Amino acid sequence: MQSSGADRVRRLLTAAAGALLAALMALVLIVGFRLATRIRANVALLQRASLLETYPSALSQQLTALRERLGTLEYTGGVHQELADSVAGFDRNLAALERRPGVDRPVLRAAGRLWKAYTPVLAPVLAYSGEPYSDTDFGSSLSVSGKIYYTQVRRAELFAQSSAPALHRRLAALSAALQQRTSSAASRLRLLLSVGVLAVLLLGAAAAYLQLARSRGERAARAAEEQTRDILHTVREGLFLLDADYRIGTVWSQALTHLFGREDFAGLSFEELLRDKVSPATLVTATKYIKLLWGERAHENLMKSINPLGQLEVVLDNGRGGKETHYLQFNFHRVVGPQGVKHVLCTVADITSNVMLARELHEAQESAHSQIDMMVSMLHSDPLQVGGFLDTAAAGLKHVNAILKEPARSHAEFSRKLTGLSRELHSIKGEASALNLMSIAQRVHHLEDMVEELKGKSELTGNDFLPVVLKLDELLAHLRAVREVILRLSTLKDGTPSPEGTLSSPILRLRERASGAEELAATLQGLARKLAEDHGKPFTLSLEGLEAVPAAYLPTVKDCLIQMLRNAAVHGIEPDAVRRAGSKSVTGLVRVQFRRLESGCELVFEDDGAGLSPETLKEAAVRKQLLTAEQAAELDNRSALALIFKPGFSTRAEVSMDAGRGTGMDVVAKAVYALGGRIGVSTHPGRFTRFKIALPAPSQTAVA
Amino acid sequence: MLREEELKTFVEGTTRYFEVAAQQPATIGSPYLLEGETAMHDYTGMINVSGKREGVVYFTAPRAMLTVLLMKMQESDFSHESMRDLVGEVANTISGNARRDFGHDFVISVPSVFAGEKPQIPQSPGARAFVIPIHWRSHSAKLVVSLT
Repeated sequence: MQSSGADRVRRLLTAAAGALLAALMALVLIVGFRLATRIRANVALLQRASLLETYPSALSQQLTALRERLGTLEYTGGVHQELADSVAGFDRNLAALERRPGVDRPVLRAAGRLWKAYTPVLAPVLAYSGEPYSDTDFGSSLSVSGKIYYTQVRRAELFAQSSAPALHRRLAALSAALQQRTSSAASRLRLLLSVGVLAVLLLGAAAAYLQLARSRGERAARAAEEQTRDILHTVREGLFLLDADYRIGTVWSQALTHLFGREDFAGLSFEELLRDKVSPATLVTATKYIKLLWGERAHENLMKSINPLGQLEVVLDNGRGGKETHYLQFNFHRVVGPQGVKHVLCTVADITSNVMLARELHEAQESAHSQIDMMVSMLHSDPLQVGGFLDTAAAGLKHVNAILKEPARSHAEFSRKLTGLSRELHSIKGEASALNLMSIAQRVHHLEDMVEELKGKSELTGNDFLPVVLKLDELLAHLRAVREVILRLSTLKDGTPSPEGTLSSPILRLRERASGAEELAATLQGLARKLAEDHGKPFTLSLEGLEAVPAAYLPTVKDCLIQMLRNAAVHGIEPDAVRRAGSKSVTGLVRVQFRRLESGCELVFEDDGAGLSPETLKEAAVRKQLLTAEQAAELDNRSALALIFKPGFSTRAEVSMDAGRGTGMDVVAKAVYALGGRIGVSTHPGRFTRFKIALPAPSQTAVA
Repeated sequence: MLREEELKTFVEGTTRYFEVAAQQPATIGSPYLLEGETAMHDYTGMINVSGKREGVVYFTAPRAMLTVLLMKMQESDFSHESMRDLVGEVANTISGNARRDFGHDFVISVPSVFAGEKPQIPQSPGARAFVIPIHWRSHSAKLVVSLT
């Protein structure tokens, strides 16, 4: 920019000097022309003055010659005529001098006065027209008029001889003055010509300098143009300028062609550039943003912070006939001139590899954090419990895969899978949460989200299940990693390496030391503490008779209690303020009682929370579109309470890790029915909710 | 971990073959993970992948399906060799689709074809096989993607 300013000043100075010299030249020419004209006029005057200077002596000589001819009676006609011509010539030239400017007037007037004195003596001579001679027998002699004529000539001769020097001096002075003026003008002309020559030389030098500067400037411009071309061909970012109509200028970098797979950028609007590459909503946002950039008051840093095209996902041709997803980063810089924003410079960079790298890094960090979290939770967990969970989860996920494997071609067949998948995943998540294995619980939760999303689709195909199976694979890989960690921790805690080098042996050894009831109690107490903390609802879990649970029922009892405990924490136990208002203890109570009866077993689960409201349940069922408003109105209280066992039923509007999917009590009921049992619910609003599960006596085979 | 786009590329390569060769698109069934059992039909066309991913991708179909496919393609030769060529072609189309989408990231072998015999499938440690059922008319084949 500085170089460009200096060039501009130099060009202005050169132009000013050139103009000055040209003006000087014009002045020299004008003045020179006037001087030359004056010299020419002076020379003409000088010639006349010089000619006049010769007349006084010529007149004297002519008068003398006339007198002598009269004396010798010679022919006088020729001399008389010469005299007349001289007088006429003097008059003519004197008059001409009087008319011209630049003549020394006083001298001319003095000469004129002297010449006028000639007139009385010359007039009779010039007026004579008679015959000066008369012929007689004695020869020729002056006639009477001739004698008079002779006398007049003689008088004129004498006058001329006496007056000629004075007149000559005046005329000589006149000539000298004219001579001096002419010489002076000639000197000025010479000086002027010298100045003119100098000006021409200077003008030539200035022109040469200007030409030199221009060619140097052109060379610099060509070099700059070449450098610009090289930059635009080499730079890896797409570069272009947008004008006030949001159209691309005539210059852009080669990278833009590669980025957008086209070459017709000149005059293309920014909207047209992006139209097929981004969603309509993004296009609208981007167009609005570009318009904002032209605002005089737009703050560049602020604008940068709200750039909607900082990481734009676009689908581009990959050059092999296929499509590739790329991430482009647009940056905008306003080019501001004296009149405001002239252009907006856009740079477009392909940041796909950066995005991928960041994504991989993020995933790696997530994985590392997850590993650390997992390690920490493992350290606080009982390996026995976690090992048991891993076995259960593996079996559950195997079932998930089996559900996926069931042949399906129609929407109905695909749709049927979703309920089974939800139920299975919900159980796994519940147990993972109970053991505080959040890395697993979150992954299962994510998988549940996918399944829930599919439930909302009107037409399901196998393609919709591709992300599900990929997520299942990821979950299984994570379970393998957890299993590996457990193996190592178990080995460390045991102090002896696993002789078989397998996972199961340390866990099995741990299992031998603990009963299933202890494991279940520990799991439930751990889950209760976590739920109380997560939901900010302190409550006590009272467990009775769990040691009486038959081994065959342990997995089912565990699943049921986990789900019911989560429901109690989310829906049953009220927040502090509500409990205080209801004159209840701030700490809630959840009571679990297992009893063996003659007819089988009974499991009672009761919380001292808000209880169930049939009206609330009906409203939720209508909201979830499980019932119409009319059907809900016809339900009695008993049937309304039974709604909680329906798949997909939940009173929660939003989904969380612990509730909202409407899968929990459905899982409980299904598990109880699978064992040939029954489940019942009783409640008192504001006081309690009680579930009573009746199970048949376990068979001998099952007990074993 | 295999990405969804990668899996879709292989699936699209397979279904595209049916659409182009038989003018009747194939649909995909419910995908699942292969667990120990073999997923082989009568004829199998397989490609080995190396580079960014390592493993195999194979298309395996029953003879009945291939026969109908040949008929739809106006072929009159239903010999063993024609069947082998057909699964080879499908594998080739899958390979072409992958090359188009992944470029030099994936190094893909020339398809190998197996008929009847159980192919030797190199198992990469940690690689789990995704099975995608391919339904065409009343027949079903399988696309198996086992990459790490």
